[in-house]
Parts: sequence; structure tokens; C-alpha cells
Amino acid sequence: MVTAGSNKWGMVVDVDRCTGCQGCVVACQSENNIPINLEEHFNQRRAIQWIRIERYWEGEYPNVKARFIPVMCQHCGNAPCEPVCPVYATYHNNEGMNVQVYNRCIGTRFCANGCPYHVRFFNFWEPEWPESLKNQLNPDVTVRSRGIMEKCSFCVQRIQRSTRESERDNEVLEDGDRGLNPACVNACATNALIFGNFNDPDSKVSQIKEDAMKEGGRGYRLMENMGTDTNVVYLKKVDQSVEVTHGH
Amino acid sequence: MIPGDFQPQKPTGSQLAKLGVLGVVLLGVFIGIVLVLTFVISAWLGSPVIFGHDGPDQPIEFPHETHVTDLGMDCTFCHRNVEKEAAASVPAAGLCMTCHSAVGDELEGIAKMRGLYEDGRSIHWVRVHRVPDHVHFVHEAHIRYFSEKEGIQAQEVCATCHGDVASMDKVQQDRSLKMGDCVNCHKQNNAPTDCATCHY
Repeated sequence: MVTAGSNKWGMVVDVDRCTGCQGCVVACQSENNIPINLEEHFNQRRAIQWIRIERYWEGEYPNVKARFIPVMCQHCGNAPCEPVCPVYATYHNNEGMNVQVYNRCIGTRFCANGCPYHVRFFNFWEPEWPESLKNQLNPDVTVRSRGIMEKCSFCVQRIQRSTRESERDNEVLEDGDRGLNPACVNACATNALIFGNFNDPDSKVSQIKEDAMKEGGRGYRLMENMGTDTNVVYLKKVDQSVEVTHGH
Repeated sequence: MIPGDFQPQKPTGSQLAKLGVLGVVLLGVFIGIVLVLTFVISAWLGSPVIFGHDGPDQPIEFPHETHVTDLGMDCTFCHRNVEKEAAASVPAAGLCMTCHSAVGDELEGIAKMRGLYEDGRSIHWVRVHRVPDHVHFVHEAHIRYFSEKEGIQAQEVCATCHGDVASMDKVQQDRSLKMGDCVNCHKQNNAPTDCATCHY
């Protein structure tokens, strides 16, 4: 049974701030025990990256611009991956997150085909780490074995830990405080990624979203026309070369 | 001899041999089925149907009864992280040495433990309680909830899941610790039953 929870986790990605440094990718890789992607994994299009930086080149030499968009699981409110799973391994929880249950997954890969963002990854191999890296695995995160799907979880282990700690200390769970940020947000050098609770009107993400989604604001969602109702809001690049025609 | 009378023929040697082989094979199949059933039922119940309910042998005998019932030590004295962290934690040999540098000279296990301590090695205890894969059980939250709810000390909560360890000579598993067991208790206590509560 899914009831409306008090929290609705989401993220704001300011594309204007993103420098494409891949810090979030590395942080995610180490936080979530993601196996090391070798060259042949990329060649076979089987590399696992819960968050990736998409790079786009714009313009002709010498006036070339690189554009970067970090893309992670959008935690759609109306997720195309969920209804296709025959074993309910992916479902929506009451905190607005799209959860992958590893022990239910049988690896049909229907969800990966359903996902328009290409953020679901299949473990084609048994994950392996060099001996020297075995002790850096995060004990709070399951190591996924061969044959199951995985994807960005908004670092649910951190959310669970912070929830527990705030209950213990009789405090209100606040985003951004006491480490309640996914690893990518903590690692982002330019604060391009902001994580928070959309149900809390005072949270930073709610305020940015409210502002950005107004007429003429910078906010947009990836593939909004598909009606996926994502929990990740993107803020457009502010282009210096384009003359400002309204507001500001 | 009356015509048509039934004359039992004496089985030949090769027929007898075939019968014997068939008998042995059938007996083997029967024993196999019994063994498989025993295994399946044991796995289903979470405890062995035959061959005793003792816990596993530990590298060093640690009688909980002596330490807890006779000496009155708290669970939390040795399992120090149980009120703070996910894992209850088993202490390093150094903690044993706070007492056993002076007491227990006559015991074989103590000598072994001291030897390991002096070599800077750890005791390889055999794990008794293990939840299934992909499950993250947090002792801290459970201890806190039950001690607040029932107004009892942390060490009195342990028996809820671990049984009466204080009177066990060898520690053994008391409850099945399967998902049904967890979910039933979560429902009774209005704890979340969202998958992501434990599985991540």
C-alpha cells in the first residue's frame, strides 16, 4: 500500500553551474558499490553509471561550446519502468522515490527498455574489484550480483540513516543537514546539484522549483512531453551570448 | 502333476542379482527422498528437524550462561555498538583481556584466547544469526523502539529476537528471522513495511 508520505525527495540540477567535471559520477561510483567500468564495457554499451554527464558540442570551430547535462534516475511520479516489471521489483514508495528491490529482480530488463532516460543498468557480469579496493566497498549498500537491474536510488541508505538519526534525536529531518544529501550532491564542486524535500515549502529545492517553474523561469524537466512527472527539475543554461529579452 | 497346475520356477542366479540391485536402488531412492525432505522441511522451519538444535561450535567456548546469568554482565558490555549502530558488534579479544588477564588461568579456551591476543590476531567466531542477503537490519533502531515502548533497559530487549541467550551454553538461533517474521512484527508495531526500509 502506498500512502502519501510526509517527504517527497527530489533534486534540482542547475545546468548553468555544471562544469562537467564528473565528480558526481566518481562519488556515486564509490558510494554505491558500482563495479569498475572497463573500456570494453563502454564499447559494448554495458557500462554502469547511475549518474552520467551528457556532453553536447555546440557551434562551429572556433566558436565551440561544450554543454553538460548530468542525468540520473528522474524518479518519475508516473514511471514507465514500473508497470512493465512482472515481479514488482521496481515500485514507487510513499516518499516519491522509484525503488529497485534487488532480491525481487529476475533480470527481464523490461524496465530498462521502458525507461526513456536510459538510467537503468543491467549487471551483465559478476561485479569485481581489484584486491586493493575491496575494503572501500560501502557496507550500507548491497553489492548487486550478475543478472539484476540497478539504478540511482537517491542514496536511499543515507535517507534511511538520517531518518533514523533524526528520530533518535527527536529532531525534524531536514534535507541538506546532517549529511542528508546523495553522494553526488555532496561531491558537486559548483553546487549544480541540490537535493531536498519537495513537500516542505521552505526547503531550498521547493523554493527554487517554484521560482523556476514560473512563466519565463529557467526550470524544465527532461522529456516533459512524455508525462513522466519527474522529481528532478533542471535549470536552463544562462547563455551570455543570447540577448536577454525579458525580466532579470 | 495336474495339468495347468502352477509350478513356481526357481529364480535363476541372474534374476536374483537383478532383484537385489533393484532393491538396493529403491532403498537408495527412498533414503534420498527422506534426506531431501528433511532438508527442505528444516530449511522451511529455519531449524534442523533432526540432529539437535545446538548452535555451531565456536573456536573458543564462550558460555553466555556463566557471563550473563552467573556474573550478571549486561549484553551491552560486550556488544558495545548495539545501541549506537547497525551492527551489534562482537568485541575484540582486548575486551576479554580486561578480566581474563587475571582470571580463568585453568581453562584451555582462555589460554588460546590469550595466545591470539598476544599475536594481535582476532578470534574467528562462527556467525549464528544472519538475515538473508540484501537486508539491512539496524540494531540501534530496534533497541531504541522497544526500550522506549516498554520502558525497559536495552539489554532486556535483546531476548525479543535472540531468545534467552543468557541461559544458552552454545548460542543458537531462536527465531526464524525470515522476512515473514520481520514483516509480522513490523505490522504489529506500525513500523514501515516499505521495501526500501530494509532492502537497499
